Amino acid sequence: MSMLLSVRGLHAGYGPVEVLHGVDLEVHEGQVAVILGANGAGKTTTMRAVSGMIARRGEIEFDGTNITKSPPEAIVRLGIAQVPQGRGTFTDITVEDNMRAGAYVRHDHHAVATDIALWYETFPRLSDRRSQKAGTLSGGEQQMLAIARALMSRPRLLLCDEPSLGLAPIITKELFQIIKRLNEQQGLTVLLVEQNANLALEIAHHVCLLETGQIVASGSPEVIADDDAVRRAYLGT
Amino acid sequence: MRFAARTWGHDVKDLLQYVLDGLSIGSVYALVALGLVVVYRGTGHINFAQGEMALFSTLITWWLHDKGWPLLLAIAVSAALAFVGGALIEVSLMRPAGRRSPFAPVIIAIGLFAGLNSLSGLLFPESGQGLAFPSLFPNDPDDFVSIFGANWRIERIGVFVVVLVITALLFALFQKTKIGLAMRTVANNTESAKLVGVPTNKILMFSWALAAVIGAIGGALKAGIDANVSIGSMFTVFLLSSAAATLGGLDSAGGAVIGGLSLGVIESLVGNYPEEWPGSDWIGIETKTAVAFLIILIVLLLRPAGLFGTARVERV
Repeated sequence: MSMLLSVRGLHAGYGPVEVLHGVDLEVHEGQVAVILGANGAGKTTTMRAVSGMIARRGEIEFDGTNITKSPPEAIVRLGIAQVPQGRGTFTDITVEDNMRAGAYVRHDHHAVATDIALWYETFPRLSDRRSQKAGTLSGGEQQMLAIARALMSRPRLLLCDEPSLGLAPIITKELFQIIKRLNEQQGLTVLLVEQNANLALEIAHHVCLLETGQIVASGSPEVIADDDAVRRAYLGT
Repeated sequence: MRFAARTWGHDVKDLLQYVLDGLSIGSVYALVALGLVVVYRGTGHINFAQGEMALFSTLITWWLHDKGWPLLLAIAVSAALAFVGGALIEVSLMRPAGRRSPFAPVIIAIGLFAGLNSLSGLLFPESGQGLAFPSLFPNDPDDFVSIFGANWRIERIGVFVVVLVITALLFALFQKTKIGLAMRTVANNTESAKLVGVPTNKILMFSWALAAVIGAIGGALKAGIDANVSIGSMFTVFLLSSAAATLGGLDSAGGAVIGGLSLGVIESLVGNYPEEWPGSDWIGIETKTAVAFLIILIVLLLRPAGLFGTARVERV
């Protein structure tokens, strides 16, 4: 399996406050990789650094291209789409326009229309609400929309930042099933940040443990789940 | 100055005339208010320089026309220059200021207001007294049509129709084009706009450019109605347009249009308030703007987000 994303010695933060102190991370094509970590460990910061939203140094390479200094729009164009924490849907515009906005970097109008129809099949509730403003959707529906919107750019790597945040357990389960299907059926590579470790480990191929801005352990979900410290901290057993 | 006939209580045809007059000048407020909304939606700031940007463009239009250019061509060239100028203002002043402090752009805009006004006075010294400005439409004393007994001046109808057409084009831009979609995403959630690949800086630059073009056109129409452009003429327009935008709800393009039109009509009706009616000592041509503002104040007390503004209520 070839390497799709490689992060080496990543430092990033907000203004004078450094949050990441040299993160190393690899995501292989076709995998679901999961970053586990407590609040404040730097999970969201890692995501934002990869998608180009904040200043960073070190080396981020996507499919052989160095993107450490690229602006967000260039990174989207290369094939990385992010579902931000808190969903980030465009609440004042319609579901359909949210989907169109997701395809902003594309210029193939007809294929965009086809893709919208395709994702409506995967997310039928979005189809029912296509002309409603996104802000009127339930939390679960907005999370589905955030994922569908990200997929509209036809990414090769999907970054998902805590998709389960604020959702009912049953909705979260459905969501993870969808992510799993996208990975298995369409070969979509996923980098997922989650606090819900049990669910995340179920769909992960590779797990990294982030603590205070550094990766302290990584490996297959079985190995990570067997670690006593991890069990105590994240699995509650 | 008082109009001889302040009679709208007596005669329906006078009333119709005042309403049309109000719609005509109100449409100019609506247009300039749209310019304010375009910038507000992108940046969250009221562009205090909108009126003086319009003044400067209008003086350039006057100058080109004075040099012998046809008026339409003069307006088109001035609007094109405004497009470039608006973009330059965003890139060279607003963007660097916004990086330092969220309030700096407001101060810069106020500085720009003062600077452009002084520059206008410097480059066009005669504009202090006022420069004769031609109308885009036939404007002789007998250029009117009679509908329902009221005399509707061609020039007023012309201004109203032109603004309606431009407004329709702007709405098509916002709703039907990719750049319009990008503008709406930036207005709604700049972070997410970046994440889907919208070059947000370019969109802001375009918004300022567009607002400047709107100002150039609005300024020419207002000067045409007044048959005059002077150094102070755009300040009132700015005041009333920002009131119109606030009334409509600052982030709503439709609200700006309705706010502008209603403000024009209110102003016109108050200005022609019948003398024999109660309160005519203080309701009339001298206080029309104050009364208009009073009405806005009451509306905002009842609906703080304006008539059509987004009161952000979201489900989570």
